[in-house]
Amino acid sequence: MTAPPASPAPAGPRALAWRRRRRAAARFWRAYRGHRAGLAGLAVLALLALAALTAPLTVGGDVASVTGAPGRPLEGPSGRFPLGTDRFGRDLLGLLVWGTRVSLLVGLLAAVLSVAIGAVVGITAGHFRGVYATVLMRVTDWFLVMPTLVLAIVLATVMSRSLGTVVLAIGITSWPTTARLVRAQTLAVEARPYIERARALGGGHGHVMLRHVLPNVMPLVLAQTTLMVSASVLAEATLAFLGLGDPAVVSWGGLLQDAREAGAVSSGDWWYLVPPGVAIAAVALAFTLCGRAVESVLNPRLGVGR
Amino acid sequence: MSTEEQHGPGRRRPWHRALRRAAGAGIAALLLTAGLATPLDPAPRPAAAAGDGERVLTAAVAQSVDSLNPFLATRLVSTSVLRLMYEYLTDYDPGDGHPVPGLATKWTPSADKLTWTYTLRTDATWSDGRRITAEDAAWTFRTMMTDEEAATANGSFVGNFRKVSAPDPATLVVELERPQATMTALDVPIVPKHVWEKAGDLGTFGNDKAFPVVGSGPYVLTGYRADSYVRLKANPRFWRGAPKFDELVFRYYKDGDAAVAALRKGEVSFVSGLTPAQADALRGQDDIEVNDAPGRRFYALATNPGARTKDGTRFGDGHPSLLDRRVRQALFLAVDRETLVDRVFQGHAVEGAGYIPPRFGTYFWKPSAGQELRYDPGRAARLLDRAGYRKNADGRRVGKDGRPLHYRLLCHATDPNDKAVGQYLTEWWGDLGIGVELTCLDNVTDPWLAGTYDLAFDGWSVNPDPDFVLSIHTCGALPATEEDTGATDNFICDKQYDDLYARQLAEYDPGKRAELVKRLQSRLYDLGYMNVIAYPNALEAYRTDQVAKLRTMPEDGGNIYGQDGYWSWWSAEPAGTGDGPDGGGSTGAVAGVAAGVVVLGAVLVFLALRRRSTADDRE
Amino acid sequence: MTAADAVSRAAPAPAGGDRRRSGYLRYGLGRIGGAVVSLLAVLVTGFFLFRLIPGDPVKTMTGGRPVSAGQLAAYREEFGLDLPLWEQFTDYCGKALTGDLGTSYQFRAPVTEKLGEALGPTLLLTVTAFVLHTALGVLLGTRSAWHHGRTADRLHTGLALTLYSLPSFWLGLLLIVVLSVGVGPVPGLFPTGGMESGAEEGFAHVLDVAHHLVLPVVTLVAVEYGQTLLVTRSALLDEMGSDYLTTARAKGLRDDLVRRRHAVPNALLPTVTLIFVNLGRTVAGVVLVETVFSWPGLGGLFYQALSVPDLPLVQGLFLFFAAAVIILNTVADLLYPLLDPRVGR
Repeated sequence: MTAPPASPAPAGPRALAWRRRRRAAARFWRAYRGHRAGLAGLAVLALLALAALTAPLTVGGDVASVTGAPGRPLEGPSGRFPLGTDRFGRDLLGLLVWGTRVSLLVGLLAAVLSVAIGAVVGITAGHFRGVYATVLMRVTDWFLVMPTLVLAIVLATVMSRSLGTVVLAIGITSWPTTARLVRAQTLAVEARPYIERARALGGGHGHVMLRHVLPNVMPLVLAQTTLMVSASVLAEATLAFLGLGDPAVVSWGGLLQDAREAGAVSSGDWWYLVPPGVAIAAVALAFTLCGRAVESVLNPRLGVGR
Repeated sequence: MSTEEQHGPGRRRPWHRALRRAAGAGIAALLLTAGLATPLDPAPRPAAAAGDGERVLTAAVAQSVDSLNPFLATRLVSTSVLRLMYEYLTDYDPGDGHPVPGLATKWTPSADKLTWTYTLRTDATWSDGRRITAEDAAWTFRTMMTDEEAATANGSFVGNFRKVSAPDPATLVVELERPQATMTALDVPIVPKHVWEKAGDLGTFGNDKAFPVVGSGPYVLTGYRADSYVRLKANPRFWRGAPKFDELVFRYYKDGDAAVAALRKGEVSFVSGLTPAQADALRGQDDIEVNDAPGRRFYALATNPGARTKDGTRFGDGHPSLLDRRVRQALFLAVDRETLVDRVFQGHAVEGAGYIPPRFGTYFWKPSAGQELRYDPGRAARLLDRAGYRKNADGRRVGKDGRPLHYRLLCHATDPNDKAVGQYLTEWWGDLGIGVELTCLDNVTDPWLAGTYDLAFDGWSVNPDPDFVLSIHTCGALPATEEDTGATDNFICDKQYDDLYARQLAEYDPGKRAELVKRLQSRLYDLGYMNVIAYPNALEAYRTDQVAKLRTMPEDGGNIYGQDGYWSWWSAEPAGTGDGPDGGGSTGAVAGVAAGVVVLGAVLVFLALRRRSTADDRE
Repeated sequence: MTAADAVSRAAPAPAGGDRRRSGYLRYGLGRIGGAVVSLLAVLVTGFFLFRLIPGDPVKTMTGGRPVSAGQLAAYREEFGLDLPLWEQFTDYCGKALTGDLGTSYQFRAPVTEKLGEALGPTLLLTVTAFVLHTALGVLLGTRSAWHHGRTADRLHTGLALTLYSLPSFWLGLLLIVVLSVGVGPVPGLFPTGGMESGAEEGFAHVLDVAHHLVLPVVTLVAVEYGQTLLVTRSALLDEMGSDYLTTARAKGLRDDLVRRRHAVPNALLPTVTLIFVNLGRTVAGVVLVETVFSWPGLGGLFYQALSVPDLPLVQGLFLFFAAAVIILNTVADLLYPLLDPRVGR
């Protein structure tokens, strides 16, 4: 018996839990629907996700080939190339769509990595307390004040230039925020009486953390992940812009870096420079809007639309 | 909770008001400065029209200065500045690059080719008024021969010197160990002994504190701020005559686009290192002249022939298949140079042939029709088959040991061309069945010196005298041990090449020497360790409303920045005053002030309205 | 970094006794002790982290020029690279504690000298931007909260979120294109980069620098103020739900008086926290903006040093960045109890 016996249903505890969760999800969605900005963000994300998933069908992997580039270098927008061509003569619209895959993938992976580290550190630090927690929180504090970009640049320099490196560099440097939030939440959850009961009934550390604390911090983790994706997409673009990305991989940050290296800024080749930046900003904004909506649904005290 | 909180905030009220006032003041100050400062630095203006009548020439540079001490400086920006500060013994003719008098008016080798006697001009003085004597030159060379720190930048020139003396103020005598054809191409800044004697440790002396810095060139260093600017004033005592501009400023722009934007606005008069897109965009602009000149550089694909020391000890881990000449040639046969020149350099380069760029006509060499490795992927595939690297079921080429061919291609992360060409090579060689891993590093020195790469992008600037770029492929340039750093470029060591190299160095007859240099290039081409892809053009631009004319090198269609000499900056003439662009400048200034005032007004109105609306809320 | 984080961090809640002074003392000592530990950790990390960067510093330093093994050894000795790692480490720690950060490999000048050269420009840029974006954020955040739900609030929040989502380097590039080069009828009003034109003297020089300062500051303010705005707004909304405000209003106090006297000062605390927690982010912004605008500051120097790698310079800069953030955070921690009676009581 893990949950407080709320309703006297005839179903078993598992089915009960599932039903409760379904109902909670429905409630969440109803509340979320009330946030117009959050819905707009969600719509943009759905669109981009669709673009990323169908990219192999719509533009195909060949769009990134330099030897098979269809146009002349740096052509302006035209009927054939709606956003013009890049410095190799590749179709920029195609590249932009193709780049969605990398940018979203890196953003998501880095965010998941960062939030995962943060959640583990936060939950254990909140659960165990004592010297372990003190040390862990000192480390967290230390990472929190570290100049993140500086650390990420160093990591990207130390390791080879690849997508994995970028994900790792972002993930390793951006987790402390999550850790702090999760720890606070863990402390609050563990102070509730039913945890006491679970302990008294012989629930071990693992049981308490996995079955009680984790489900309760999950919404927070979800909101945090959404916000973190936005930060990660920006961080990926920043690292690529500083020349620390993989030059052979097409990403929005990489396109901006290419544009800059080709001298597009001063040549007035706006079609090379503007779309990737707008795309980055759109994704970052969409994730932020979703994250804020989720946050405010879960924590109404934070005010209307915060 | 209430009492304390209700009182607390009351006490802090002035703080909030102060904060708001500070914010308002800050924004206003920023906008005001913006508005005020604009007219002081208007858009395009003739160089001559600068405030106090000084004629200032400003050039944008992208590199940061490593040192202004001529014994230490190696970066192009630093040596270019030093070239303006210190005169050499001999200069290169801006026309065809043959040696012409600098501080020395006459030079003669002895019959045994081992003693060179220079006669120094008597009319040259340092910028502090002292006469330049042979003792200054002798002291400079001797310091480089005895002080390892002082040999940092130009030590290679004196490596073969036995003794340097100055029997009288106008005569310099250099005795050599072996004959050396480059004695009229000693690119060594001669420094004033009376100043440098007191400099102390040359390894740490920056030469950038006590202004003006005593020199002998067309300009005198008068100011320097790291990563910001280098300021030089015309030297009225320069023996060739003072330059026409009063001041020359090299301003540092990290970002190439910012530099181009500055040129468009007239903040700087000159920009070099343009990308093809920038050059094409600037070509249509008024008052801007784009200079698309044959470059001094070659851009090549280097192969690791297996790193080794002078005594033959091997180190590094270059791919063994590259020791087979057929493999090297097959790789190069699959590189479509025409496409690279067309796409990557967008026509602003010449397709590669011999080692020395066509700009140096005396030494330029082209492979014969039978010798040439034209783009031919079919022939490349056949060569690889013959060498024993056949395609397996997956379409990948596999050696006899069963290992697939997979190369590490080293590229400079700071060079956009490396990354672009690297992507083409990856695809072309991929079609051949060869795997490529493009490794782009900010700093390639380490794998380069350790020989831990397979293929790499390489490039050198060639001097009018090609000796240096030829010397770096001799066995003598190999490092003595793995610990040493040799002069070698990529560990090439070939007996036939070495023989030819030694013969050209001892040949004092220019015609015969040129013939030997061409044979050297032919041998290098056949070896296939150094495959020249292209000779990139120098793409530069300057404002014709600020600079009336300047001398390129070579004079007919040559480049401006990084010349073998001070010709461009010494010869630059300011454009006339008073017409056209001045109007544009004041328009810009007026617009700037107007914009500042409008924005400021908008902010004030906004704040006032907010106030009103808060007042309304009260009701 | 999110708003909620700042809020959660705003309550360091030290164990408090009855005697307020001794409570503060204990709290203060704890914070200072923590800072010292952090600084030592930075010292250690700074040393070992950068030694992971591949490359033989001495060979890099000589730039691939022919150098004999003997001279390379001499360089190693000069820079202490021939010693065992732990000895290098103690040496470095000892020197760092006395303010000697070694000699830069590429500039052959003391690291402290290079730091000093670049510090001024960076401080000028950061402090100006910092003051402006904080003031703007707090001001607009207050207004937004007070009028929350209305069009003005929606506009302000929307704009702040959008600007906050922009990559700062991209915004900088666009500003250069539009306001510096000029597009169509827009004239190029501002310099494209750098901090000074190098030809002016005296007051003209001051104006010249101010002129160069505008675009980098605008870029930094645009991407940074949004967060301050949002945090101030949400903190104020929290505060406005409090009982005492309702009481104050019920007492018939004027609205803006309530706002100014009661709500805002209390809501400022999370904002102050956020500002200090965000210093790390500010450093990141500075690296990018300095790169885009060719500003001769610490950020550009760091990036340049890292690519060599110029170990002493990289270490010195890292140490400086981290120490600055840690010390400022500690100062902030020490100030909270004095600002907010609820903390440290």
